[in-house]
Amino acid sequence: MAAEAKRLKRFSIAQRLWHLALVVIFFLMGITGLAWMYIETGWGRMLAAPFGGWQGALEWHRIAGLVLLALFALHILYSLMQIEWRHPFRWLAGPDSLMMQFGDVKGFFQHLGWIFGLREHPRYDRWSWYEKFDYWAVWWGFMIVGVTGLVLYNPVLSSDYMPGWLINVALWIHRIEALMAMVHIFTVHFYLEHFRPKALPFNAAMFDGTIPMSEAEEAHGAWVDRLEMEGKLEAHLVPEPPVALRIAYFIGGYALIALGIFLLVFAFANVAAVSLF
Amino acid sequence: MLIRLIVRAAILALLFVQPLAAQTAPPTESNLKGSGYFRDQDTLPGSYRLYLQQPSKLDWLSSVGPVQEKVKKSSFTTDAHEGVANYSPRRQCTECHTNHSRDLHVSRMEVRCTQCHRDTPIAGIYHYYSAMNPIRRHAYVCAKCHEGATPSFASYVVHEPNPLAMETRESFPALFYATWFMVILAGGVLAFFVPLAVLWGLREFISVVRGRFSHGS
Repeated sequence: MAAEAKRLKRFSIAQRLWHLALVVIFFLMGITGLAWMYIETGWGRMLAAPFGGWQGALEWHRIAGLVLLALFALHILYSLMQIEWRHPFRWLAGPDSLMMQFGDVKGFFQHLGWIFGLREHPRYDRWSWYEKFDYWAVWWGFMIVGVTGLVLYNPVLSSDYMPGWLINVALWIHRIEALMAMVHIFTVHFYLEHFRPKALPFNAAMFDGTIPMSEAEEAHGAWVDRLEMEGKLEAHLVPEPPVALRIAYFIGGYALIALGIFLLVFAFANVAAVSLF
Repeated sequence: MLIRLIVRAAILALLFVQPLAAQTAPPTESNLKGSGYFRDQDTLPGSYRLYLQQPSKLDWLSSVGPVQEKVKKSSFTTDAHEGVANYSPRRQCTECHTNHSRDLHVSRMEVRCTQCHRDTPIAGIYHYYSAMNPIRRHAYVCAKCHEGATPSFASYVVHEPNPLAMETRESFPALFYATWFMVILAGGVLAFFVPLAVLWGLREFISVVRGRFSHGS
């Protein structure tokens, strides 16, 4: 049993940087996208102002979209590099893989049973079903928003390859997927990661890359056991991150949470004032 | 002599038979395609597709694209408002065309009706010489702002219907089904996760209050 002060390394520097890039670009695209969608309202114009009006906001939106797609392509390469190519299928079906497996279905039902007080809390391995869902939701979101975003990037050009009326369709798909992503991230994701009783006041795992050993044993017990059995636990133990960094994560994190909630509240408050079609 | 007679007879037969055949044969898609000229089908009210172009791999898509259900007779006239009793060029267009006041072109770009439909007398959009006529709309109207606009580009529906309205299922099936699919997907995801998160939080709260984690560690 590791000492209480010890922490378990959960995310590599690469994984944390992917997440950080995603956070920054997601907010940038959310702000510029909402600015354009709400440009008829004072709130929309306020959001667009830092970018120099709607033209600037749209330009940032387009460039950020391209950067995000490029990062996504890089991420696919990175993911392929994570696979143990000596026996890829065994690795993909293993506990370090983010592939959905039958065990995740069991994990989900056990989790549900625990919520209703019928069963014990599941002892997850490295990734729980909801963490895998969060990961793949980004993929599916990217597919939908990315493809429609590329269609909308230059409508005159894209209408050379498809009927122009598909732009009407693409815009609606783009909007609804993007709005759903924002609502999900700013409510469910923020709540589950930061405001759940066990996560309060702020869960910096994705930022400093570590979790307290006690939390690891509760939330990822099977993983801790596996590391111990494989003799890899010691290598995964890391010291507390510096206090200055933790304060920075805390303040930065809360600023972004506040920004997300601000976007959500004003988007709903102003929805009647915009022309959507 | 006989050969000459046969040739003349053949030419005469061709001259008479060909146009007769053309007049009686029902219009097919192939003889409309790419003609660039107006035929009866183009100038009379009825149901037909706006853009008939070279066949492409994407032709199957047109079956779910926007459909012009009924075209008003006035859409083919020099002055679309001819005979409209309370019409006056001084009135706001949207006083009567109420459903056209919230289009993105108007609400975001402040495009005025007359920038596309031109000045009074406003010709019907299918009038032979109208700038809005589909044969030249892309070049005369869309391309004013959207440089390089093509007929395909011009099939963008400016006066977009409410995508969730039941009428849109008939008038623009692709928009209707795609939007409903996305609404159900988004609603489904949130309907699943929001209650789950709330219950999960409550359960954890109970655990915390009881001071132990329920799997007995």
